This record gives sequence, structure tokens and C-alpha cells, in this order.
Amino acid sequence: MKSLTIALKDLTRSFRSTFALMFMFGIPLIVTGMFYLMFGNVKSDDSISIAATNVVLVNLDEGAPETGKLGDTIAQSLQNEQLASIMQVSSVDSEAEARQMVNNAEAGVAIIIPADFSQSFIDPQGEVEVGFISDPTLTLGPQIVKSVLHEILDIYSGVKITVAEAIKQNGSMDAQQISGLIQQYMAGMQFESAGQGLVELRSPSSESEENLLQSMVAPIMAGMMIFFAFFTGANTANSILHEDEEGTLQRLFTTPTSQIEILRGKVISVGLTVLVQVVILIIAARLLFGIAWGPLAGLILSIIGLVLTASSFGILACSLLKNTRQSGVIFGGLLTVTGMLGMINIFTGNPQSSPLGIVPLFTPQGWVARALLFNMDGAVIGKILPLFLAMLAISAVFFLLGVWRFQKRFA
Amino acid sequence: MNLALDVQNLHKTFRNGSSIKAVDGVSFTVKQGEIFSLLGPNGAGKTTTISMLSGLLRPDNGGSEKSDIQIMGQSLLSNPLAAKAMIGVVPQDIALYEDLTALENLTFWGKMYGLKGETLKNRVKAVLELVGLTERARDRVGKYSGGMKRRVNIGVALLHEPKVIYMDEPTVGIDPQSRRSILDGVLALRDRGMTVLYTTHYMEEAEELSDRIAIMDHGTIIANGTHNELIQLVGQKTRIALTINTAVDQIVEDWKRCDGVSNLLVEDSRLVLLVDDSNKVLPRLFEAAAKKDVRITSVDIQEPNLETVFLHLTGRALRDA
Repeated sequence: MKSLTIALKDLTRSFRSTFALMFMFGIPLIVTGMFYLMFGNVKSDDSISIAATNVVLVNLDEGAPETGKLGDTIAQSLQNEQLASIMQVSSVDSEAEARQMVNNAEAGVAIIIPADFSQSFIDPQGEVEVGFISDPTLTLGPQIVKSVLHEILDIYSGVKITVAEAIKQNGSMDAQQISGLIQQYMAGMQFESAGQGLVELRSPSSESEENLLQSMVAPIMAGMMIFFAFFTGANTANSILHEDEEGTLQRLFTTPTSQIEILRGKVISVGLTVLVQVVILIIAARLLFGIAWGPLAGLILSIIGLVLTASSFGILACSLLKNTRQSGVIFGGLLTVTGMLGMINIFTGNPQSSPLGIVPLFTPQGWVARALLFNMDGAVIGKILPLFLAMLAISAVFFLLGVWRFQKRFA
Repeated sequence: MNLALDVQNLHKTFRNGSSIKAVDGVSFTVKQGEIFSLLGPNGAGKTTTISMLSGLLRPDNGGSEKSDIQIMGQSLLSNPLAAKAMIGVVPQDIALYEDLTALENLTFWGKMYGLKGETLKNRVKAVLELVGLTERARDRVGKYSGGMKRRVNIGVALLHEPKVIYMDEPTVGIDPQSRRSILDGVLALRDRGMTVLYTTHYMEEAEELSDRIAIMDHGTIIANGTHNELIQLVGQKTRIALTINTAVDQIVEDWKRCDGVSNLLVEDSRLVLLVDDSNKVLPRLFEAAAKKDVRITSVDIQEPNLETVFLHLTGRALRDA
């Protein structure tokens, strides 16, 4: 009971310190917020407008009895409404006229469908070339049109390969059979569906924007949370040294309260403070940045692991110090180095499975980071559990060493 | 009368490179309801003794047959929690949480002394009234003046109405008004039946407050008794302080050889002598000074007091020891 009183007193003191609050909540959220705004700007700036390219189409295709006029279907695809924002297609009768228009900058691109375009589909050996002429002074527009044209022609290449393969397998095919095969293929490609083109334009969906944020901002938030949770653990454990120097610890020892109870109270206060910090950060990150922390069971295990490792690490670090004057230097160095090593994968984008990916596991922060990142990727509990057990073991060692040293010190 | 404190044969040596014997065989008893002062210069071992009596330091030979600390019949060494429940400790330096209010501080410390519920509330309220801080109870202690902090510091030790209160030099570094207030408070505690163990290096405080006084020097108690008993140790000796018009070393050896001079020490630019009968010795001092052509510029004759006792016992002044 007295342990809890000591812990609550320390918790109250921690939450009254502007310095502690800044490090517990302010800095992790501000830093993550900066990244969020950076990626948020990319997200909201998707209204890049590119002027539609003027395309002149010369459809010379004479058709074939087996296929009909496939050139017309290409023309229809290019003139689909969905492509209107990137190309304005008009038809002319001759190649020369089309070239002239490109030369006169009246059109950015000229596409010439040759007369034997459809005929080439019947002859397995036949080759056909679709002409593409572009204004060399334009760069992006013609490239986009060329990409779209490639997409469409790939479909026709598929048709041609299918027909050639069918003829090869059957020895020969009549016009009706070839026509049926082509129509079947096109139907397979949903070519006949009303309002659907061969190429579909898609804007980046909100889902993929969220994926971008999740993949970029969420690990940073996790890293910040882990780094500052360890800082909080060390800073709160440092209150033992502060109280020793301020005389309040000695005064506690003069009360009818056992040393073990006092030490237990200090340990609970460290754990409680880190727990409150982590829970608030997780909720705040969810509400402010929409960060998905992954399955609840894995998240709870990761949080417990984080609280235990951060608290016990702080207790051990403080037990090694003589006074609070040393704590600034030691915490600054120790927490920064282990924190950076522990989260090196987050900030370098290094895959956890790579050879360097195991470097963080030499620090307690690395185990927590791995568990949290796995969980955010939706890992099953079976993948988090071994990491949790490792964190538990690390914490037990840190805790026992730290408490032993403190007991020896105040005996 | 029953004993509140029975301290037997305390020893404490600090080993930090070299060995420093801070307390060497200290024994004394304090009766219930009396103010007992440990008087001695800085470094005499008072704080180390009180630290052992508070359970902060374990005596080197604690637990042996001859060494023990009994508080209201409870052994601090074998039953520390029960013994600690009997005491309230006012540390020399203020030991409070400055970022908590006085109310929060008192409530916390009350819980540490095992108070709870209505008892806790009532005791906190009573102590706030006692130290005159009811109006400022919800202000953080960090915003208090030094005197107000001292009052809360004392108030914490009174929360659980202990049988025995230890006060370790509570008036060091405070203004005369706050000092007076604390001394009056100590006397009021005695009037309420509490036993007070008071350490100080101010002779006047020990004289004014104490029923009995133990004089400490170099880790041992060199005298122990009531004020009158201690004064009787120096017999009819008188303390004479003289100033001369030249360097003191010109006359020191001559005065030491004068009949009736038992101690002589140089204190700043003065010469302080402990003499058997000032009426007989003073003419000899003047005669010796005249022979050396030294002129005495002032003479101050004091009746025996604790300062004289300390000088008599140690050959040193209390303030310089």
C-alpha cells in the first residue's frame, strides 16, 4: 500500500514537470507530426495538371473478313472518355497530313494504323508496325500517349499470339474459327463491355495514401515512442538519486516503512509513468495521425515489453550512477547510442531480415522496435510472443541487477 | 521516570580511503518528557549519532550485547519498524517535495507514518494549524519562504504524534525571528509531553531549552548532565577575554605561566583565559603585560557557562573546535 502511495506521489511529480512532459509527449508527437505534415503535403498535392496532348490518328486499316476492322477498335480505345484528360484525339485521312500537323505543332503526336493491320492477325508470320510520330519539343505528353498506346497494343499482341498458337495447334483454321477466337479473346478482355476501355486510368486512391502514411510515419512514431519511453524510464528512476540528494529518501528511511517497500514504490512509479506515457502516445498517434498499431493482443504484449524494458533499463542505469550530476552525461550518451542502434532499421529503411537487421537486437530498444513493427505489419501473435519473452528476460536481468545495486547502496 | 531513549555504546567509523571514527562509544539515556541536547562543534559526531538513532546508519557494533538503541522500550536494531513508529525526525536540511503543496506533502508523509482515513485528514489539518499554514496549504512548497519551509519540515515529524522527536540543528541558517519561533515550538512540544532530542552547536540554545545536555567532541560524549551539573565541572573558574594593543604572541607564554591560569587560547585577536579567581589573577596579568610593555585595551569577565565548560574540558572554544 505504501509502495503505491510512493508510486503515485512520483507520478504526480513527473506530470507536474514541464521538462518531463515535453520529453514524454511533446517531442515524440511534434517530431512525428513534422513527418506527418511532410507526407501529408504529398498526399494533398495530387492535383498535378498536365495539358492534354493533341493526337492525330490516321486509321488506314482495311480490315479482314476474319477479324473485321481491328484498327477501328484501337481508334475507339484511344478516343475513350477516360483518356480525354490526357489526350485529345482527332482523325485525319493521310499520313502526310498527320506529319504536317505535327510539324506545324498543331498536334503533339500522330498515330498511323497501317492498312494491313487487321490482315496481319490472320498470318501467323505477319508483322505489322503502328506508326508513332511525336513533336520532339514535347516530352511528357507524348510519353504518356506512347505508354497508353503500348498498353492497348499489348492486348492486340495477345490476340495475335493466341491466333498464331491456335493455327499451329490445329494445322489450319478457317475465317469463322479465327473470328470466333478473336471475339472470344476480346470478350475475355471485357473489350465488349459498354463504357469500358482497354486502358483504365486510376487516380491514387485514399487507401494507398493511407498506406504511404502508415509505412512512413508509423515506424517513426513507434521509434520516437520507444526512444522517449526509455528516456522517461531513466529520468523517473533518476528520482531515486534526486531524492537521495534532496534528503527526502533519508527521511523516508526514518519512517516505519521498510527499505524494500520504498524501493518497490520507486520501481512501480517508473513502470507506471512509462505505461501512462506509452498508452497516451499510442492513443494520440492513432487520433492525430491515424496510425494503425496492429492486432490488439500483439500490441498489448509489445506495450508490456516496452514498459518493462524501459523501466528496468532506467533502474539499472541509475543504480550505476553515483549522483545526478553524472546522469545527464550518462543518459545522454547511453540512451542516444542504444536508441539509435535499436532503431537503426526504422531510420535507414534497412529491412529487418537483412544481415544488418540484427544490429538493433543488441539493444533492448531493438527488441521492442521489432515487436511493434511486426505487429503494425499485422504479424500473428506467435511471431510477437518470442520477442515478448526475450524482452521479459532482458527486463528481469536489468531489474534484478539494478535493485541489487540499490539495496547494497542503501543498506 | 521511564526512559524514552536508552543508547548504549554506539560506534561508527567511515571508511573512504582512510578511516574516520565519527562516533566512538556514545551512551546516554533520555527520560520521557525531557529535552535532551547534544551540544558540540561541527564535526563532533552529533549528526552521525542522530542518524544511527533514526535507523539511517547502522552502528558498527550494533546487535552485540553492549550496543543497543532502545526507543520507548523498542530496540531499533532488532525491531526497526516498531521503534521508528515512535519517532519523528526533523532533518537538518529541509526534506520536502517542493513540487507538491504543503497539504500533499503532509498527506504523503502521514501515509508513510501509517496514518489513513479520517485520522490522516484530521492530523494534517491539525499540523497545518500548528505551523500556521492553513491558508497556504494548497500552495506548492517551492513557493514558500525559508521559514515557512522550516515549519512544514517540522510539521511532518509531528503528524503521527510521536513519543520522541529528533531535531538535528533545526535553526542552522535561518533568521532570528524563525529561530525564536522554532525554540518556542520545541518548548511547547515538551509541555505536551513529548521527548525531544535536540542537536546544536549553539550554546545559548542548549542552555535555554535543555533539561539535560551531553557535550560531544571528536565522536565521544565528554560531559553529560543538567546545566548546573555541567557548570559545576569547571568549579569556581571564570572565563576572561582580553584584547591587547599588540600581537598576541608577545604575551601568551607569560600569561600561561601566571598562577591561577588553567587554560589560555587565542580567539581571533583576543586571548581567552580560564582562571581560578579573577580577582586574584587579573592583577598578575596586568603586571606581566606591563613588564612586556603591552597594554591591555579591554577586559571581559564571564561567569561560567557551557562555553567555559567546553573550554575547560577540551582546551578549545566551542565555536572554533
